[in-house]
Amino acid sequence: MYSKSLAPLLAFLLLAGCGVTDDLLPSGENKQGGAVTLGPGDRAPEFTMPDIWGQPHTLAGLLAEKRGVVLYFAMWCPICDSHMQSILHGPLQNHPDVEFIIVDYVSGTVEGGKRAAMSGGYAQSPFIILVDERQKALNAYGATMGTTVVIGQDYGIRMIEDYKSQIQLEEALAGL
Amino acid sequence: MNGIAMNGPAITWMTGSLSRLGLGGLYVRPALAVFVFAVLLLFAPSPALAGSCCGGGGGAALVLPKTGDWMMDLSFDMEVYDGYWNRDGKILPDPPGSDLRQYRLNLGYGKRIADRWQISAVLPMVRNENFYENSRTTSTGPGDTTLTLLYETFDVVTCVWSVETLEDLIPAAYLGLGLTLPTGVSPFDEASRSFDVTGRGFYRLDASASVEKTIWPWTVAMAYSYGIHFERPVNREYGHWVEPYNKKLGDRRSFSLSGGYTYFMESDDTITLTVSYSDLWEGVAVIDGEPDPATGLRKRSVSAVVAFANMDKSFMTKLGYSRAVKQDDWGENFPITDILTAGVTYVF
Repeated sequence: MYSKSLAPLLAFLLLAGCGVTDDLLPSGENKQGGAVTLGPGDRAPEFTMPDIWGQPHTLAGLLAEKRGVVLYFAMWCPICDSHMQSILHGPLQNHPDVEFIIVDYVSGTVEGGKRAAMSGGYAQSPFIILVDERQKALNAYGATMGTTVVIGQDYGIRMIEDYKSQIQLEEALAGL
Repeated sequence: MNGIAMNGPAITWMTGSLSRLGLGGLYVRPALAVFVFAVLLLFAPSPALAGSCCGGGGGAALVLPKTGDWMMDLSFDMEVYDGYWNRDGKILPDPPGSDLRQYRLNLGYGKRIADRWQISAVLPMVRNENFYENSRTTSTGPGDTTLTLLYETFDVVTCVWSVETLEDLIPAAYLGLGLTLPTGVSPFDEASRSFDVTGRGFYRLDASASVEKTIWPWTVAMAYSYGIHFERPVNREYGHWVEPYNKKLGDRRSFSLSGGYTYFMESDDTITLTVSYSDLWEGVAVIDGEPDPATGLRKRSVSAVVAFANMDKSFMTKLGYSRAVKQDDWGENFPITDILTAGVTYVF
């Protein structure tokens, strides 16, 4: 009887074992050198996207006017909002010679992007908000929510990773 | 956003930079993460059980009745996202035209290992559905597994029909230790998009205490838990290898208060209605010793569960609804969700 009642537990552990992931034994090994996705030092893909007012923007055009560009990929979620507030009240204030871009990859249309930006309180912010209508930029950069990309005038990527802090972004901006 | 289940029956979402949970379980949508945003979560605290020590209780937590040897539990959650609280507690909407959901199939097992001790395990299977104007993504995977060791402070069932002596007022109390295993897909694992997140990626140890008293047909219960996440190295984020760093999610606290009423049918089968209020907090994460101010969360919710149990309390089926209180300042940095739960439990 005892073994019978423990059988489900064993089945459980087997099931849980099927879900074995890297998270169970996390690694701190630096594997950046073998990256198959975009990383620091790679050339940033060109893009053309409209802003929420319908004006088209290209990476070349943005870099022609500023010393660098920061892309933040947003989906209008709580973490995105926290990140954007952090950028707004720190790095954006400190670097007027850098263009800070919010890439909205979920609204799908200029009108949708405008409504999302307005309801989130960002429509009139210093950010340029671009609408990635068909998620071409999202895919080209291998980005997802919170991905932050720092690009220099030479198109070189200085940073491409999840936003963590003002310090992290400031360090990348110092390399422009 | 995907949520990530944060805990027990609920959430999913949130990882440090989570997405919209889930948390949960953390975690754990939209994207909360989706997020795992969340998340997460796995994510909301379980309502305390109404009369769980007596069997036939109405809650969602996995507690073996005093008379049971082992139990199996199968439940299904549907979590629908409806905006979120920002860090200032202000409610903001999800993107226009979006429909963000997380489904969880939870398989639970409980076993009595001694007169006062029981163990349990819950393994969720998570499906995220994130529909936006320009994209429709679905992903399915295991969530984070929870193992629990529970100690009962009593030897006999404490439910009474009337109070005749002081002893009749003694409640049932439980002390527990829970370990969450990161068996789900997290931002630091194979997931390349926040939509795919089904776990938070961190081990967590929870200490819990709960107390309940049933004087038929009424039951009141309170539960409190405190959890700490273990620091881990991170060298990958959503498929991008990054310079390694150490990360630790914030400590987590949850509190719930519930009340229940049990109706006895002529057959002695019972129907129990339990209503609960739950409050969940999580502190900010720490990256290489520095606090990550974008993290941390709070969520307050109310729930109602109707449970049917047969006469000997060996079989129970339940239907529950949990609603985050959609008012400014009733949550922070977290998605607002509705959770519909249906489940069956069999006690051997």
